[in-house]
Amino acid sequence: MAEATTLSRPESVGQKIKNYFGAHIISNTGGLLFLILAIFLLWPLSSVLIKSIVGPEGLTLSYYKEFVTHSYYYRSLYNSLLLGVMTAALCTSVGFCIAYLTTRGPTWLRTPLKVISFLPLVAPPYIFALSLIILLGRNGVITNALNLNWSIYGFSGCVISQTLAFLPLSYMMIENTLISLNPNLEDSAANLGASESKILRSIIIPLLAPGFLKAALIVFVMAMAEFGNVALLAGRVPFLAPDTYTMIIGEADFHMASVLSMFLILPCAIIFIIQNYLIKGKGYTTILGKPVAAEPRRIGRLILIPFLVVAFIASGLVLLTLVVVGVGSFMKVVGIDNTFTLSGILDANANQSLINSVKISLLAGLFGAVLGVVLAYVIVRGKFRGRDILEGLSLSGIALPGTVIGVGYILAFNKPPFLLTGTVAILVICSVFRHLAVGEEAGITKLHQLSIEVEEASLNLGASAVTTFKRVVLPIIFPAVIYGFIYVLMRAMIGLSSMIFLVRPGYPLAAIFIFDAASFGQLGVACATTLKLMMIEAACLFLLFISSKWMGLSITKKGSVA
Amino acid sequence: MSGEKKSMLTLIDIHKSFGSVKALKGISAEIKEGELITFVGPSGCGKTTLLRIIGGLTKPDSGDVVLDGWAINDLTPDKRGTQMCFQNYALFPHLTVAGNVGYGPEVKKWDKKRIKERVVELLHLVHLDGLGDRYIEKLSGGQQQRVALARALALEPKVLLLDEPLSNLDASLRVQMRATLHEIQKRVNITTIFVTHDQHEAMSISDRLIVMKDGKVEQVGRPIEIYEKPKNEFIAGFVGYINIFQGVVKSLDKETERAVFSTEVGNLEVLINGNDIKQGQKLFLVVRPETIRISSSRGSLGISEFKGIIKSAMYEGSIVKYTVDIEGKEIIIDQFDPINQGIHGTGEKCTVVFPHKVHILKR
Repeated sequence: MAEATTLSRPESVGQKIKNYFGAHIISNTGGLLFLILAIFLLWPLSSVLIKSIVGPEGLTLSYYKEFVTHSYYYRSLYNSLLLGVMTAALCTSVGFCIAYLTTRGPTWLRTPLKVISFLPLVAPPYIFALSLIILLGRNGVITNALNLNWSIYGFSGCVISQTLAFLPLSYMMIENTLISLNPNLEDSAANLGASESKILRSIIIPLLAPGFLKAALIVFVMAMAEFGNVALLAGRVPFLAPDTYTMIIGEADFHMASVLSMFLILPCAIIFIIQNYLIKGKGYTTILGKPVAAEPRRIGRLILIPFLVVAFIASGLVLLTLVVVGVGSFMKVVGIDNTFTLSGILDANANQSLINSVKISLLAGLFGAVLGVVLAYVIVRGKFRGRDILEGLSLSGIALPGTVIGVGYILAFNKPPFLLTGTVAILVICSVFRHLAVGEEAGITKLHQLSIEVEEASLNLGASAVTTFKRVVLPIIFPAVIYGFIYVLMRAMIGLSSMIFLVRPGYPLAAIFIFDAASFGQLGVACATTLKLMMIEAACLFLLFISSKWMGLSITKKGSVA
Repeated sequence: MSGEKKSMLTLIDIHKSFGSVKALKGISAEIKEGELITFVGPSGCGKTTLLRIIGGLTKPDSGDVVLDGWAINDLTPDKRGTQMCFQNYALFPHLTVAGNVGYGPEVKKWDKKRIKERVVELLHLVHLDGLGDRYIEKLSGGQQQRVALARALALEPKVLLLDEPLSNLDASLRVQMRATLHEIQKRVNITTIFVTHDQHEAMSISDRLIVMKDGKVEQVGRPIEIYEKPKNEFIAGFVGYINIFQGVVKSLDKETERAVFSTEVGNLEVLINGNDIKQGQKLFLVVRPETIRISSSRGSLGISEFKGIIKSAMYEGSIVKYTVDIEGKEIIIDQFDPINQGIHGTGEKCTVVFPHKVHILKR
């Protein structure tokens, strides 16, 4: 055997180079990915930081000083924080009621409630602002009918629309938490005579508190930095995200916009640290259990009725919003001029904006899916140091407020070597890096399920790393690619907060078109475009559903053979 | 044995389907006070479903559960007087041992002093004295299992329901816990229903077994009855290895209580043992591997003795498990004490001696 190895043929220089890259292909790809992420995530973010502390005369804290001395600014921070807290509290409470009913409530109610709670996922978040304006705006349907001297603009409007917008997310997270609890724990407590409220107080809430807190924190971060609803409904109340936008578009004050952005990131970073270092590992490992086909417990009325009331109000508002937008699509200006018209549906500018959005989103989806899956592969299978950094960096896109990314992109890419502002490319790139994390995470999960031995077997049979990736890995993680593609596509379609900074005059995007139309009171066309946008989103979701079913099946078949 | 004891739990014609799957097809049974009875059967036989129906966690489609003279069908689990111990223990991970054991009394609003006393008493019962302040995750599997037992006993239920309580423990601990569980059950004298798929566990721990298959009761009886007189081939095979022979009654001798069967291996003389059999009748003989003896090849063969060839010998320490070919039929033989008996090698010729006491099965 030892002789055989010494007898191998001498290799040419070209072959040696090829072998070197073949052997280190994963590390080299990792390096390349790091470079790409550094340019498109780290650099914009650093630009924001630099802009906030560097003035014409070098390093300065004067912009921060301005922030703390002007009540307008710190009130805007205060409002944003308060909005985040209130939205998180409301979303968590309402989400808990609904999730409790869909996991433990009457069986007949579970599916309808679940479907309604997920409906807003196909809608852009600012749909709630739109319908609130139609119903309760200065010339709203209800405002006029009751002759109210009050309108929804202001803090309360923001809280309501934000709560409804983030309800699917918090519902989903809380439901997952509730499902994770071994039902035997509750059965045991009930068997020992505990009432529903006692089970809630002594078992469910103490055990799942970390999960609920996590859901609340995520909603807090997102709601605090959300742009669309707040920009449409804030009225004269200052909030960080819309103010940042005004700073740039209205006053071209990039320094102050950067300072505001830093304050948008700060809570985000703090929460991230809390989550990773304080909550992590606080859970009880023993709560995992196989779900037993349990029949629903009879929930006592004291709990059931209030939960039902909350769930019905929330799902009623969701349905109402959809109906308002649906009906509004076929009226000139809902509430003011209710004549039937197709002009909103047929509006040429709106349709052009939709086509543009679809193009951008398709491109973003394609690049996002590929990049996500390559990242996943390199992170899971790579053996070089800094993989954690690569993962953290690539996931930061989804965690950062869109407004901040928008500002960062303007600052980073408005001059050579990366002169990208005003191009279509920047819209695609921004969407890719904001949303690729979800597909990447799906890929990481899939890859963890694929044992390394399977790949080693392929390499052992003489396949190169690239062939192995193509022939063995890709078929198995393909569902993650599809998932990543559709996620990026869907998010890019409705994305507003960062795109609004980057959009090129004469190249309208649907989300921004709706935002502008709603701001200027062109409610009919705003509704109609939203409706069409939702239909495209719903089609994507349907495709995702179909493909995941189909892929899921084909994967299990393959798995069982192996 | 337990004839004079009063009936504690009666199941009357219980049916249950999950969608199109019939999980229980008319189960009736009677369980006496203080008895430890085991539902045993292969997975999917409906034993856990039946237990959950008794505990009120699953509703039967039809049939009645009668506890101590009361129909409890429509009562919630906490009102029934039954207490379920789950397979995964379902201990509250955020509470201490004392918090878990005292949970029931606390819900029932006992005063603090009484709860404390009860917890101490119960921890003593399950041999966990002094561990009240520990958290669940700091306990071993066996200790967790005993906490679950103590918690279930806290409110003095009439019937204790144990769903595969030992299946999460490793093999040696499982045997040890069997004894502990049995001892506690007899000490408290609580009517207990035990569910398991492990026939050894079922036989060693129970007063009586209810053997189930495909949602039906196959046989009810004491472990010895089930093992020695199984009603059919399934039960015979479920509670241990068997050799089964097809035989025709060749001759009968009522005086010596013996019958000679002509089987596929040759003539077997067996004790009639009260069985009602006739000349020429076709029957099955169930012979347990440990009742057959094996010895070195001899020239002349006696009654129920045969020549065989060793096909395989598996050494298991206390026994050697042989597969022996007799006239083309493979039979299994357990030979105890290999230290003194020696081990026969594969391919070796041997003499196989069948017992007189075998189980006669009608089909």
